Amino acid sequence: MSRHSQNGPIYEVEGLVIDLYTPTVSVRAVDGAGFYVAPGETLAIVGESGSGKTVMTLGPLGLLPEGVAVDLRGTARADGKDILSMSPTDLSRLRGGFFGVIFQDPMSALNPMLKIGPQLAEQARRFAGLSAEEAKKEAVSLLARSGIPDPEDRYDRYPHELSGGMLQRAMIALALAARPRVLIADEPTTALDATVQAQILALIRQIQKEDGIAVILITHDIGAVSVLADRVAVLYAGQVAEEGSAIDVLTAPVHPYTRGLLASVPDFRSNNATGTKEIPGIPPNQAQLEPGCRFADRCELVQPQCRTHRPPLVKVGAGPVPHRVACPVVMAAEGIVTHD
Amino acid sequence: MQRMFMRRVGLALLLMLAATALTFWLVTAAPGNVAALIAERAAGAGADGEMIAKIADDLGLNDPLPVRYARWLGDALTGDFGVSLRTGKPMAEEFAERIPMTLALLAGGGVLALVLSLAMGIAGAASNGGIVDRVLHGLALVGASTPNFFFAAMLVIVFSVWLGMVPTFGVAGLTSWLLPWITIALFPASVLARVVRVNMQDTMSRPFATTGFAKGLTRSAVLLREALPNIAIPYMTTFGAQFTLMIIGAIVVERVFGLNGVGAFFIEAIRFRDFIGMQAILTLFVVFFVSINLLVDLLAMLADPRLRRPRKA
Ligand SMILES: Nc1ncnc2c1ncn2[C@@H]1O[C@H](COP(=O)(O)OP(=O)(O)OP(=O)(O)O)[C@@H](O)[C@H]1O
Ligand code: SF4
Ligand SMILES: [Mg+2]
Repeated sequence: MSRHSQNGPIYEVEGLVIDLYTPTVSVRAVDGAGFYVAPGETLAIVGESGSGKTVMTLGPLGLLPEGVAVDLRGTARADGKDILSMSPTDLSRLRGGFFGVIFQDPMSALNPMLKIGPQLAEQARRFAGLSAEEAKKEAVSLLARSGIPDPEDRYDRYPHELSGGMLQRAMIALALAARPRVLIADEPTTALDATVQAQILALIRQIQKEDGIAVILITHDIGAVSVLADRVAVLYAGQVAEEGSAIDVLTAPVHPYTRGLLASVPDFRSNNATGTKEIPGIPPNQAQLEPGCRFADRCELVQPQCRTHRPPLVKVGAGPVPHRVACPVVMAAEGIVTHD
Repeated sequence: MQRMFMRRVGLALLLMLAATALTFWLVTAAPGNVAALIAERAAGAGADGEMIAKIADDLGLNDPLPVRYARWLGDALTGDFGVSLRTGKPMAEEFAERIPMTLALLAGGGVLALVLSLAMGIAGAASNGGIVDRVLHGLALVGASTPNFFFAAMLVIVFSVWLGMVPTFGVAGLTSWLLPWITIALFPASVLARVVRVNMQDTMSRPFATTGFAKGLTRSAVLLREALPNIAIPYMTTFGAQFTLMIIGAIVVERVFGLNGVGAFFIEAIRFRDFIGMQAILTLFVVFFVSINLLVDLLAMLADPRLRRPRKA
């Protein structure tokens, strides 16, 4: 499935712990999670709202909103370089040039006081090394490539003059303007109309194919995962419950949470005998963490030891793309062995 | 946009009309009799009731209030604000002499407040909770709660009396303007610095600021290029309000520093029950208030692309 599995990871996070502090609460948003993505590959990160998808992916880049104090441990490497020990200036350059980010709501993610086009041109000038003139041409062609009609006219528009779908296309163009190696799309379609969603996903897919860049797609949309993703990481309460190739995770899920998540998606698999059902219960309060498996309170298979020992993420199966699961109970019950 | 503009101008004119009518009514209702005052000036203690009545009749003071207001308004529109009861000079002449002085005070104070508040607010946001931020916050609090007459006295004692750097009274050259400008700018600069700081903080936690970081901008670049344009509108509105309030500050500051502006004249007018002078100065204040607010509203409209270029259907 992974077209470039021979390539090493280009963005890689390991053993990440992120604590967030606001005047009222402190939360362990990410608790020893990790992921990696290789060039030419699309990694989907799925999980419920609040499971830490955004914080895990953008936190190491210093892209969490101001007003929250962030305590971050672990390792994060971009192109082999340690991100967490970088100087603020180097990190800024990395964010601008190496990574491109598409945010959830283009209406609020684009500055209402700034015209669209000049921002793209500036990115192209600063990070792709183009002259001012070339950069403007590049910006217009980026807008065109992102499927924006009449790009010369749109170049001089302010965000309020474009529709939501057009704005998300502009956001994509902005993310691509610096010619990044990793494109992070954080729920890029959640704020859009259903008809526009498919178009935006198709656009991301096309860009990924044409440019061979790494894409991290954060999403709730299992349908999008099945269409776009090479690999999937399932996040639950700040930990990775399961990860592996999209085929493995979607068709042969092991972790009870992954199974529940897929069962709650209507018509995801036609052989879904039980019909759709929501996972009962709510995620744990990440301000007061208990030891053991995070999913224990909602898990039908819970055993006493689940509550005392944190299940390790272990490799199952022997496929070329590692499939890892953090549930020894299911593995034992179904005779799945470790391939570590 | 154009209709909004016309509506705003129309509203401003109505406001001026209403405010001048109100002040006219208040000034004429105040204790004291214009005719008696004029008679006193003309004949000293020899003024009798008959003379007063005649003057009142000549001036039309016995006409109903609306008639008198209409007459006053008609004169005012031609630039005739009457003759000061105190100085005996036409108010138009007093204006010509004094308005430049007050304008210089307000303009210098306004520029100072603008520069100081932006510098303090941006430096505070750049420091973001650091020592600079906290010191500036403290300064702004002190600045906003120090009465200007007290502050002026402190400045005069230190810079004029102790250090002899600037004259204590009157204007002679640019340095003599420094203390009045600083005094009148103190309060608005402090308030506006907080406005900048608080709005900066709010703006920096908005999603588009995160986009700014994602574009590879350093924090100071995000502050200046992404956040600052977004605080322009609340800043302009508050600046307008603070700038108009500076005319009240001017009354005190002109007295303390011996500047012959309209503020100083106003105090004298009240002391001498110069109703003509009072009404003229109050009219000037109203015009100043309304036109500055109008100007600021229009500038804010122009600064906001959402208003300047409303979305096409
Ligand atoms: N600005 C913030 N202030 C306080 N807590 C936050 C903030 N952002 C995230 N958190 C907390 O961190 C945890 C992870 O949040 P995160 O935004 O990464 O979740 P997510 O999986 O991206 O959810 P969603 O699907 O809703 O975007 C949550 O428990 C959330 O409450
Ligand atoms: S470890 Fe235990 S509680 Fe956790 S998912 Fe597996 S069975 Fe459920
Ligand atoms: Mg999120």
